[in-house]
Amino acid sequence: MEKRTSSPFPRIDRPVLAAIGIVLVGATVFFAWSDRQHDYKYYQYRFRQMVAEKLGAERADTIPAGLQQVWVPGLRRADRCVTCHQAVSWKGFETAEEPYRTHPVELLRSHPPERFGCSACHGGQGWAVDTAAAHGEVAHWEEPLLGKPLGEAYSLVDNKAALMQMNCNICHRYERETRGADMINLAKRLVQEKGCRACHVINNRGGTIGPDLTWIGDKAPEQYDMTRLSGQATAFAWHVAHFKDPKQMVQDTVMPNFHLSTKEAQALAMLMLSWRKAPFDAAFLPGVPRTDPQTAEERQAEADMKSGPGAWFVQTGCFVCHSIAALKVRSPAQIGPDLSTAVEDTQKRFGVTVDQFLKNPTGTMSVVLSRQIVLTPEQKDVAIQKLREAFAEYQRLVAEGKNPLAAAAEGGQK
Amino acid sequence: MRFPFTRRAAAADTAPGVHAQPFWSYRPRSDREAGDAVVSNLLLHWFPSQVYKPSLAWNYSAWLGTITGALFFLLVLSGLPLMFLYVPSVERAYQSVKDLEYVVTFGWWIRAVHRIGAHLMVIAVVLHLARVFFTGAYKNGVGQGQRREWNWVIGVVMLLLTLFLSFTGYLLPWDQLAFWAVTVGTNIASAVPGVGPRMRELMIGGRAIEQATLIRFYVLHIIVLPGALGALVAYHMWRIRKDGGLAKADAAALPSEARDTGPVPTKTYTLLGVARGTSPAVTARSPEAPDLTVNAVPDLTRRALIVVLGTFALVSILASAIPSPLEEPANALITPNPAKAPWYFLWLQEIVTDTTVRFGSFTINGAFLGGVILPGLLVALLTVWPWLDRSPASAAGLWFPKSRRRQNLVFLLLMILILAFTFVGMFMRGPYWNLYWPWETWPGIPGRI
Repeated sequence: MEKRTSSPFPRIDRPVLAAIGIVLVGATVFFAWSDRQHDYKYYQYRFRQMVAEKLGAERADTIPAGLQQVWVPGLRRADRCVTCHQAVSWKGFETAEEPYRTHPVELLRSHPPERFGCSACHGGQGWAVDTAAAHGEVAHWEEPLLGKPLGEAYSLVDNKAALMQMNCNICHRYERETRGADMINLAKRLVQEKGCRACHVINNRGGTIGPDLTWIGDKAPEQYDMTRLSGQATAFAWHVAHFKDPKQMVQDTVMPNFHLSTKEAQALAMLMLSWRKAPFDAAFLPGVPRTDPQTAEERQAEADMKSGPGAWFVQTGCFVCHSIAALKVRSPAQIGPDLSTAVEDTQKRFGVTVDQFLKNPTGTMSVVLSRQIVLTPEQKDVAIQKLREAFAEYQRLVAEGKNPLAAAAEGGQK
Repeated sequence: MRFPFTRRAAAADTAPGVHAQPFWSYRPRSDREAGDAVVSNLLLHWFPSQVYKPSLAWNYSAWLGTITGALFFLLVLSGLPLMFLYVPSVERAYQSVKDLEYVVTFGWWIRAVHRIGAHLMVIAVVLHLARVFFTGAYKNGVGQGQRREWNWVIGVVMLLLTLFLSFTGYLLPWDQLAFWAVTVGTNIASAVPGVGPRMRELMIGGRAIEQATLIRFYVLHIIVLPGALGALVAYHMWRIRKDGGLAKADAAALPSEARDTGPVPTKTYTLLGVARGTSPAVTARSPEAPDLTVNAVPDLTRRALIVVLGTFALVSILASAIPSPLEEPANALITPNPAKAPWYFLWLQEIVTDTTVRFGSFTINGAFLGGVILPGLLVALLTVWPWLDRSPASAAGLWFPKSRRRQNLVFLLLMILILAFTFVGMFMRGPYWNLYWPWETWPGIPGRI
């Protein structure tokens, strides 16, 4: 064999190669070990112990080990929650702490997990298998677990676990009342009482002064202006703050302050976020209404307003803020004064006749008449004519000994 | 080791062109078997039997090409299991990546290796290009038939392929990061006057990034681009052999004093025992003089092993330590704020911003300058540079030689500028593309609940 000079670095090369080899083995052991590290291993071990203590070792042996999931193709969900929450369908652990607690039976009967999964109601990230990621407390997951901790973080009034009702209402949105969803029910009553539809379209019905709210729950958090919001910058927090004082969130809004309580504002914010498109087919909604029909009385009342003597005020949009009691028009919001007496009222309030006021409005009306309700000079003449008719009717009723304004105010308080 | 049937047909052993054993042999019984073994072994075939010692130095090449090759190998290797698990459909891509992340055994690690490996490969390729430029390694020496400038051109093409490979892989997880990075990237490309919008349409298979884009990028990513890159790698390697090894070795071939090399044979090969024997002592002026060269096996192969295994170890450790991000599912209606191109295109996005000028309502869009003219010019210059570089052949294979000082400084300055723009784009551009210092916190990103 011929001789050649060896590499100038052989002495160091061999130990370097050996060290690299050891590092590589170490790296392999490290990732293989990391792959085995999961919270569920401990929870499964604990639950098995609990079952063995309570029901005997034989029952404990029937508990499946390893990753578990509920696969719901129709909802495109693979919920791995049951990997840790193994007690869900085991009787006898109703008072145990999570994740070893039995799920309330009644709800499971109407919403079997094999059909609905877990995250469709509870929120959270069904794909994940570790606590933080599964409960959605990680970056880039916008559906956190709608449980008590989150409710406490938002200081929900009364029921801290109520946030989950938002997910009930994704399917049950057209019900007037849903069993068990007290906050959502409260919000739905408020929507009727306060007459939100005067300005907002909800389920294809309503006025167009405010934005359409039908799918407001799908509005992305990035699309909210959070600059005036103090504290948590979330869509939910924005809605709560906005319901309590609309002007504070949107300076030039015409939405009135309804002086809602904190609970009412929270309930309405939940209702807003629940109005989302359901990403599954109608087969999941047996027995749940799929449209939002009006009752016969509601239709009658609306028809009366639209075709009665005050129809012009309804069509023009004045009724959103003003009742015209003499003509049986009742405003849902009742922000402005009753227009039955506008003819003499403008004299008292502004010192001008109603003609002059409509042509040169001041205050709030100058904003409304230049932006929300823009009238041509001819239409203004019609308005003056109609207001005179309303005043004449008012005087006739007063002469008969009735007080139309008081009756309308009572109606509004109902 | 022999198969039983070969013993029966003993004549086959001696038949010409027949290698009766199932594997090549470390212990050849004849010169013929030894020769067969050399020819049929990839590594022995790949490397010369002797290599010029200084070519192996860490501080000459930093082995960046080998690192790049190791990363490419690792990417192909980790890409194979990913192909079994990933579903290239708009409906299922995102959830298949979620499954990889959470429930597939070692899935998160394979994905992280693929991701980290891809990022490192872009870095390694660029560093390799910079090393070759600084050492003038695209220059021909005195050897006959050297075509180093063409290997440089192949290298530039491979750089572009690497970038495009990474870019096509960016879209596949189908999350917000993927969707908007590709949106920004393809929008920059559409600034080419005239054909730009059509080019974008061809690239993404329509006017919106949709299923057609996903399947296009997927097929490019797993077959077309790696295939093209693999073929070019082979050619790149072959050309290095034909050009006489690294440019560093050319220095040894320059006319020099004849030296007494002692009583050792020259011009004989002793790889796996081929052509044993001795010859009279000679004086040598050949670049293959024994005192200047070492045997490729084991001196070169050991170093190559150190580099390759070291790269694997580094990638594996980084993959275990750095979680791969996966943002919200892609949503064409919601633009994340800020929306950024992949990091290696961020210097272009930054230049596009800086060259966009507004006069009142009139806007001069910088996409044409920053997105088309500038990168086009840089790539064109890179490609033809070996023909523009008039420095002497002796400047090849040296770091920062005096005769190439000016061009090296300009190149260095350009690299630093690109790095600076990338840094600004990566760390200093916050919501609404506003400038923030790296230590300033950006306004919080709003959540749903």
